[in-house]
Amino acid sequence: MIRFNSVHKWFKDLHVLNDINLEVKAGEVVVVCGPSGSGKSTLIRTVNQLETISQGEIWVDGVNVADPKTDLNALRAEVGFVFQHFNLYPHLSVLDNITLSPIQVKGMDKAAAEARAVQLLEKVGLAHKKDAFPAQLSGGQQQRVAIARGLAMDPRVMLFDEPTSALDPEMIGEVLKVMKDLALSGMTMMVVTHEMGFAREVADRVVFIDHGQVLESAAPAEFFSAPRTERAQQFLRQVLTPMR
Amino acid sequence: MRFHQKLIASAVVGGLLVTPAFAEGTLDKIKKTGTITLGHRDSSIPFSYLANSPQPIGYSVDIANKVVDKLKKDLNMPNLQVKYNLVTSQTRIPLVQNGTVDLECGSTTNNLERQRQVDFSVGIFEIGTRLLTKKTSGVKDFPDLKGKNVVTTAGTTSERLLKSMNAEQGLGMNVISAKDHGESFLMLETGRAVAFMMDDVLLAGEMAKAKRPADWVVTGKPQSFEIYGCMMRKGDPAFKKTVDDAIRALYKSGEINKIYAKWFQSPVPPKNVNLNFPMSPEFKKLIQNPTDKSAEQM
Amino acid sequence: MNYHWDWAVFFKSTGIGDEIYLDWFVAGLGWTVAVALVAWCIALALGAVLGVMRTLPNKALSGVATAYVELFRNVPLLVQLFVWYFLVPDLLPERAQVWFKQELNPTTSAYLSVVACLAFFTAARVCEQVRTGIQALPRGQTMAAMAMGFSLPQVYRHVLLPQAFRIIIPPLTSEFLNIFKNSSVASLIGLMELLAQTKQTAEFSANLFEAFTLATLIYFVLNMSLMKGMGWLEKRVAVPGLIGSGGK
Ligand SMILES: Nc1ncnc2c1ncn2[C@@H]1O[C@H](COP(=O)(O)OP(=O)(O)OP(=O)(O)O)[C@@H](O)[C@H]1O
Ligand SMILES: [Mg+2]
Repeated sequence: MIRFNSVHKWFKDLHVLNDINLEVKAGEVVVVCGPSGSGKSTLIRTVNQLETISQGEIWVDGVNVADPKTDLNALRAEVGFVFQHFNLYPHLSVLDNITLSPIQVKGMDKAAAEARAVQLLEKVGLAHKKDAFPAQLSGGQQQRVAIARGLAMDPRVMLFDEPTSALDPEMIGEVLKVMKDLALSGMTMMVVTHEMGFAREVADRVVFIDHGQVLESAAPAEFFSAPRTERAQQFLRQVLTPMR
Repeated sequence: MRFHQKLIASAVVGGLLVTPAFAEGTLDKIKKTGTITLGHRDSSIPFSYLANSPQPIGYSVDIANKVVDKLKKDLNMPNLQVKYNLVTSQTRIPLVQNGTVDLECGSTTNNLERQRQVDFSVGIFEIGTRLLTKKTSGVKDFPDLKGKNVVTTAGTTSERLLKSMNAEQGLGMNVISAKDHGESFLMLETGRAVAFMMDDVLLAGEMAKAKRPADWVVTGKPQSFEIYGCMMRKGDPAFKKTVDDAIRALYKSGEINKIYAKWFQSPVPPKNVNLNFPMSPEFKKLIQNPTDKSAEQM
Repeated sequence: MNYHWDWAVFFKSTGIGDEIYLDWFVAGLGWTVAVALVAWCIALALGAVLGVMRTLPNKALSGVATAYVELFRNVPLLVQLFVWYFLVPDLLPERAQVWFKQELNPTTSAYLSVVACLAFFTAARVCEQVRTGIQALPRGQTMAAMAMGFSLPQVYRHVLLPQAFRIIIPPLTSEFLNIFKNSSVASLIGLMELLAQTKQTAEFSANLFEAFTLATLIYFVLNMSLMKGMGWLEKRVAVPGLIGSGGK
């Protein structure tokens, strides 16, 4: 479904992505982790070209996204994206947040879009909030709406960039639950997260990157029990050891 | 908002000043303070204006100074100080009323509305309202203006007359009201209007300043006559008599002819243009029979 | 001071036909409103386009908008008015010149000039407000909209402008009031708006204070109703939690 072939990216002198080769198969859930500044956000944004790449190829569902001839808007309509800071549209109600793209981009009619939105809201447990505005929701609720918004376009892939790291601890669970349900329903997912519990339980594969390089790519059991690189071991010690 | 504040301020100040500032006569005030304050304009050429010095000059200023000479003699105050205070067409009446200015000699028309607010001296000048136009325009008199664009300066009697002509004679002129005489002339020069209606003496002034004075002509039967006078506070007969006497004396002695020739028939500062504006029969009559009435009362 | 107060002056004849002074104020207010409202609509539309242009990644477009703002904000309004009224018509072809200067009713040509002048002047100021409003929005909004497959025009239309306009209602209100205030320049080219009629009444009736008091009152009521109207609009479009908007 997604395939990175020798992808490089530079921000001026900074080599943020260094020879990335990676594949996410249809129906697979891949968790990406790594230290801060390692290039995780940059990596996941290249998939729908919110970031361009300097060199290499990225194929999404048979399309080379780095090709200048690719219709990016069409591509993005097929790829859901969930941000760390939710980025809901504050001037629109929950319902309108979800229906805006289906109506405007896909040309769906309003009634159908709304029916679908209500369905998705039920799925994320927020049907009763459809008329609320984003500012009237908790962080966890906002992120669940954001997920519903992404799903409303019937994407083939969902991308998550640290979806829980801006949340209070007691709200993390509700968002992870929605993501887990989604994974179980067979959605192809690429998730940047430090939630190792989620990775262990839901992911098919864990990818560890540092300094823009993929250092490990393994099944969770293997990654957590026997990380091969020193960096990954160090990283796991840090994220798994509770702070004292 | 600044503009509104100004308006409010002027209204409030107006309200406060209702209390008479000078219950005493102007002569007493002059004796007590040793000064008289004359109001003057900044660009009423050649009546009262500022040219190369901070002191105003002009025909009306010369007349005001003759009044001061008489005051010096009458009150036996050879060292009487003269203060000049700049006024505009909007401030001249209130500044006389509230005692800031004792005597305003400029180019103020004596009319009934103003007589309710201030007293006028005997007339110091008389104008007729006529037309300035290009020699080639074909306009000879007011009826030729039917359906044409005519410019005049906002707030003048000419403006009222033009509009009345439209209302009463159905001339169908488009009346443009420009903000000052200079701009009225600009409208004429740029072809926005075929004629400029205004006091004949002011038309002569604009013509004299034009790039080619010979291209222009002042024409048309005067539609009204206006007598200019000096303004002073209402209800002060002693002061008014002094002022009137001083002006009458100028007329009687013929000294007025010298002053007239100096400002209307010789080059005047700042640009040394000559208005070439001979004394009109109406003004000659006024000199024979001085009056403090307005032209409409005659 | 022995000022002769006469509040009945507004009902006295002006000496022209059977007009009374009050008629002048009504006509003046009419022109003030006609100038300000029409110029405002143009300024708002043009300013929004320019404001958007200034935030575009395209250097040429944003450069054009920046140059526009610099030019129209820095040249004094009076100079601009004279350019519109005296110079611009001279750039027209001969036939159009004659039409504009002589055949067109001079009030109409003055009206067109002053509306153009105020509209272009105010558009520069609206542009800056719109730009600030857009730039105040978090980058995540654009990103989220792009990620949903929106084209750039759609991002502006559905996500950025609705938020930006809500944020800038208060500064836009003051621009709106300004355009009413600035409309008094119209009198300089002979359009008899409220201030000109006031001065004229003062001049003809010699009841200066009454005339200016009435004008003050009219401007005050006008201002108040405009502010109330904009306040109502702000409340109506307010959205909970949006910065700068009326709701909480
Ligand atoms: N637009 C940009 N211009 C220049 N440098 C950038 C830009 N965006 C990111 N970087 C740099 O690229 C590197 C990788 O950034 P990225 O956001 O991908 O890291 P990350 O792994 O997501 O980190 P975090 O866990 O803190 O979110 C960082 O050093 C960052 O400072
Ligand atoms: Mg990141």
